[in-house]
Amino acid sequence: MTLQPRAAISGCLGVILLLFSVSALASDRGPRFTRTEVELEIPAVTLINQEGDTVDFRAQLLTDKPVVVDFIFATCTTICPVLSAGYSNIQRKLDDSQNRVYLVSITIDPEHDGPEELATYLQRYRAKPGWDFLTGTREDIDRVMKAFEAFVPDKMSHRPLMFIRSPKNGKWVRLHGFAGSADLLKEIRLASGGSSPEEVGDE
Amino acid sequence: MSRTYGIGRITGFGSWTTLLVFVALCVGAGPAFAQRGETVAGLPADEAFRLGERMYRAGLLPSGEPMRAFVQQDVEVDGTMFSCESCHVRSGMGSIEGTVITLPTNATWLYKPLVGAEMSPRSQERIPKRLDPPPFRPAYTDKALARALRLGKDPNDRVLDYVMPRYLLNSSDMEIMIHYLKNLSAESSPGVDDTTLKFATVVSNEVSAEERQAMVQTLTAHIRDHNSQTRHEERRARGGPFYKEEKYVPYRRYSLAVWELQGAPETWTAQLEDYYREGPVFALLGGITTGDWAPIHEFSERNRVPCLLPVTDYPVISESDWYTLYFSKGHYQEGETAARFLRRSQDVSRDVAVAQVYRATRQGRELAEGFNETRLRMRLPAAEDIELEDDTVIDRAFWRKLVNEHANTVLVLWLEADDLSTVDELAAVEPRPPALFVSSTVMGESVLSLPEPVRVFTFITHPNSFAEDETRSRLATERWLQAKGLPITNFETQAKMYFLGWMLSGMVKMMRDDFYRDYFFDVIDMMRDQYYSIAVYPRLSFGPGQRYASKGCYVVQLTQGPEPTLEKRSNWVVH
Repeated sequence: MTLQPRAAISGCLGVILLLFSVSALASDRGPRFTRTEVELEIPAVTLINQEGDTVDFRAQLLTDKPVVVDFIFATCTTICPVLSAGYSNIQRKLDDSQNRVYLVSITIDPEHDGPEELATYLQRYRAKPGWDFLTGTREDIDRVMKAFEAFVPDKMSHRPLMFIRSPKNGKWVRLHGFAGSADLLKEIRLASGGSSPEEVGDE
Repeated sequence: MSRTYGIGRITGFGSWTTLLVFVALCVGAGPAFAQRGETVAGLPADEAFRLGERMYRAGLLPSGEPMRAFVQQDVEVDGTMFSCESCHVRSGMGSIEGTVITLPTNATWLYKPLVGAEMSPRSQERIPKRLDPPPFRPAYTDKALARALRLGKDPNDRVLDYVMPRYLLNSSDMEIMIHYLKNLSAESSPGVDDTTLKFATVVSNEVSAEERQAMVQTLTAHIRDHNSQTRHEERRARGGPFYKEEKYVPYRRYSLAVWELQGAPETWTAQLEDYYREGPVFALLGGITTGDWAPIHEFSERNRVPCLLPVTDYPVISESDWYTLYFSKGHYQEGETAARFLRRSQDVSRDVAVAQVYRATRQGRELAEGFNETRLRMRLPAAEDIELEDDTVIDRAFWRKLVNEHANTVLVLWLEADDLSTVDELAAVEPRPPALFVSSTVMGESVLSLPEPVRVFTFITHPNSFAEDETRSRLATERWLQAKGLPITNFETQAKMYFLGWMLSGMVKMMRDDFYRDYFFDVIDMMRDQYYSIAVYPRLSFGPGQRYASKGCYVVQLTQGPEPTLEKRSNWVVH
């Protein structure tokens, strides 16, 4: 069973409110995401894209463009729409996005998300070429999630994560949280060859 | 600035509300404003409600244009990507996903101060003042709500999390949106009162006595189980600790009516409406027919009455209907799986010709439809349909003629065991068909008698788990049935109803006293995958708007020899 918002509020917040003053909760907003550099061992798995075609996942990521990977599912409530709107914005802001970045979404609900569901989802976000949505067997998807340290046993427990691969050195950056368009563009440009996030200005 | 409470991010806006409900929800059709002559943004109130519902659910403005907004400060979104419903869910009761908590936005939450826990006035008086902080946020007013939607600030001037869109709405559209939210889940749905949550189950008269009994008795045992706790629960509600009032006070007894449908399916709609008029229920549980579920499905859609897990091989296949959750797509799902498996087959070319042979029955047509609609969705040519009349004799000559006219064609044979008694002829003809498909549910246990020569190129759809894989869940179900004094007469139906009852008890507890029908399904949609409580499927999975819980179907083959067994040739889910 999954906890409901009201129960969470009355259970957790209720106790907190009784124990502490309200002012203790009114802390300032922290960063919206955390950025870390990570080393990833991409598993050799075959996944299926929105066209129903099989793809060699590892080979697919070895391009000369920055690659952004996120984990979403087609009927997701909160996290995925925000992440996907971010992808959509990136494609809109980079006119030639297909040549500058490769966006990959991987479903964490492979039971429900077949190629047709993936294609419909991409259509809803007006995805252009250069954004693939992948599914596969549950075992393969689990392997991919584990490789990215993004594994959750249940899709409703998933986290907002994005991974950016630099084609220059093959290194990955992990963003945990919700990055805005400017933040993501900055990371993409950094992955393309910038030297540090601070040196790369906003679009 | 956002709020982080140690329990995760909290998005959206919220509060408890005074019961400021100025209209009653009609049965299924939304609030009844018309008789009052009320207007909203210059529109009749019911029209404004309808347009507000479209804004909330489909993200479309009254003009038909998509709503526009920004999330994460600079990410532009429009309503066709996602809408209020995506996060706050259909009932407006909010959702939890990972560490992101989206607060309720329904009428009773917004227009009331947000406090930590709901307590009775008696308990409230007993809390020492130093432990009784002021409300976390005051009630929203219309003006404050408009500000939250446009600027993302709550009545305390706190900034809502940036995943909450900041909407670009003019004043008239805003008025319509607020009107909708003020009436969203504003009052408990029909079928619940202070003591009882009322359910019904639908049984049509052509169902065998054995199947009817298996379904009704198992459900009734669950209801009896639940009600046996009533005395304790009511005592807890009266005298439990104040911090558990919210948990105990919502307890309701269950009642279960059996709605018997007589005669032809065309008359069922009127019978269902009569039953409903006489005794409105909160939801339909289980139910069983041998034919189409469509009349009951449509009743549920029309009256917005949830129907939970009926036993049927003929559900309505729909991506958008909302009020019936099925175990699976039934026979359609087998056809779908065969088409997908064939597409993925390494041994057969994607361009291979395909023909499907079936009797002109509901069953045959459903399987064929599942197969061909899936082919078309995969942008493959449809298989040729060969629909046989009742008097068509299937003998060796039939198979020879079939292959003669359909050389090098994959044959999908949605036929019963008797019709397949001479199918070994297909192993002898030249050229031999590249592959055959048959259904284990159509053939029943006779599938094991498929002639040996065809086994090597015959694939069998098998939409259930294997007995050897379900030991634990099967044992749990059997023990429960035994404890309730129910002999095992139809294990599949009993196992399904066992699951339903198990699930129901958890779901109703989660709802607390928010007895809104839409919320009932919103809660189910957030359920985790279930493995051990269901004995006849490897697992059931749920998700927002997903209405077929079993997503899979194995493709298997028979081993050679006099005592063949079934061997899996696919994963549970084939894409």
